Amino acid sequence: MTVVTNHPPSNDEIRTLVRPEHVHRRAYADPEIFAIEQERIFGRLWLYVAHDSQLRHPGDFVRTRLAQHEVMVTRNQDGKIYVLHNRCPHRGARLCMVDRGSSRLFTCPYHAWVFRPDGSLSAVPHPQSYPANFSVADPENHIQRVKNVDSYRGFVFANLSDSPSPLVEFLGPMRDVIDNLIERAPDGEIEIADSTFTLEYHGNWKLHMENANDVFHPSFVHSSSVAPARAAAGNASILDQDQTREMLLANGFSQTDWEGIQLTGLPGGHTFMTSFYKKGVLVHEQQDPVIQRYHAALEQRLGSERTVEVLEMNRFNNIIYPNLLINAQHQQMRITVPLSVDLTLVHVHCFRLKGAPEEMFHRAIRFLTTLGSPASMIFSDDVEMLERCQQGLAKQAGPWINIARGFDKDRRDSNGSIGGAASELPMRVQFEAWVNYLTQ
Amino acid sequence: MTLPYEAQREIELFLLREAKLLDTGDFESWLALYEPQGVYWMPSQPGQSDAKTVASIIYEDHAILAIRVRRLLDARALVLTPMPRTTHLISNIEVTNSAGDEATAEAAFICVEHQGDQRHLYTGRQIHQLVRHNGSFRISLKRVDLVDCDGRHVPMTIPI
Repeated sequence: MTVVTNHPPSNDEIRTLVRPEHVHRRAYADPEIFAIEQERIFGRLWLYVAHDSQLRHPGDFVRTRLAQHEVMVTRNQDGKIYVLHNRCPHRGARLCMVDRGSSRLFTCPYHAWVFRPDGSLSAVPHPQSYPANFSVADPENHIQRVKNVDSYRGFVFANLSDSPSPLVEFLGPMRDVIDNLIERAPDGEIEIADSTFTLEYHGNWKLHMENANDVFHPSFVHSSSVAPARAAAGNASILDQDQTREMLLANGFSQTDWEGIQLTGLPGGHTFMTSFYKKGVLVHEQQDPVIQRYHAALEQRLGSERTVEVLEMNRFNNIIYPNLLINAQHQQMRITVPLSVDLTLVHVHCFRLKGAPEEMFHRAIRFLTTLGSPASMIFSDDVEMLERCQQGLAKQAGPWINIARGFDKDRRDSNGSIGGAASELPMRVQFEAWVNYLTQ
Repeated sequence: MTLPYEAQREIELFLLREAKLLDTGDFESWLALYEPQGVYWMPSQPGQSDAKTVASIIYEDHAILAIRVRRLLDARALVLTPMPRTTHLISNIEVTNSAGDEATAEAAFICVEHQGDQRHLYTGRQIHQLVRHNGSFRISLKRVDLVDCDGRHVPMTIPI
């Protein structure tokens, strides 16, 4: 779909798109707005690009997206991590054609320029045919680097702007969720699983980030998996100690289950929600033999008091604005990748807690299969709604959508804002940040 | 291994029957083709050998498949509105093992799914492990290897 506009929207025009309780459809459907988002949000904020455990040895690399660019994240001989644009500086050819691997040197297959993992040019064939002023040391002949790369406890981020604020400042209190994920590992170390899904949906990237902190929709959107899960006998599956059925059931919470669920919004657009998974192998109170062994292993490192504190951090989806989502409790992570105004990828990952019983990892993998698979009985219905929203928003009529639920009940102080389970607070917080970023 | 024509043909007809049940929306009869502890497995990686340490697109036994089938039949799942329709084509059928009450069959498949104005194409190979039951077979394991299992996907609805 296309929206015809005569000019890139001005800052004043952008400000008119978001009201306290409403958002204009152009925020989701206008390619001009999307272009500005790419420049001022994805082009300026810290974006997650890789996890340390994918880059253990010099030469290890992953290929990923950074805003509208394709990049290689590499580990150099000196141990430093680099983020390189996936393009040969000689003739512009795309260099890396695989998602991950290991290579001491990168050779462009066209005219065999050879690069080191830091992007520098190591050698060219037949150097005497190049002009006298040609030098392998000239940065113009190196693979272009993304200047700002930093990591927080193994989570590698890159930033395309010239002088970003430090990563730790950007993450702010959201560091808690990364800390918590790592603390849950008895060895104090996590590893990203070599298992991932990539889902594609025909909708704006923001729809997924909003849905992930929307506690109101599951009772409706997921009713078609809740009802059959309720009708099914418990513990009938031989595969997963009823984990799949419990996950389906968890979306069928009633209004009383909402009590105690809280939504938090932070300056900068980060948001999170407390958990609603309360049963079976999904919760730490469960005293099955696997959890008991896990607790014992964790207590060895942390002591019993700290172990309880770590496991009690009961948050579900933690959104690091604009596009990273971490669920420490179940060792899950998603990255939302906008391709165009109405086409988005979602990468879904999970982590291994090192030192935990192997069965804990099996449960994280099971969680990934049940929720993150393209055939998921849960996520497929979410995606359907994201697409229907885009289909509706693509039409010119009725330009305003409503994000008012809970507006008059949110509590707000300098640290951020807090709302109840039924609140649309996360959308309001995300859009407040959105306007700020776009008009800076 | 060459089976007598009749034995090979019996297995082929069983696979074709399964495909037809999916294409006609008779998911209850489709589920009844599975052993009480039978498993449907669609890996997420080529050559995947393990469903515990690598996630699967689908890894479900009869009990979980029964929930999936109820969702297809009773509930109006959003992603199933309008209800998708499929054409499953099974070809290159090869019985790779047949001993006593058990048989293994490999095949290539194409599945075209139509939903509203959308059309999706799924293709790959499948392996059935079959167990003799009441003069026919039941499925103890069906493994479906999509040729693009590790690629990007839109939501999947009707089993392949």
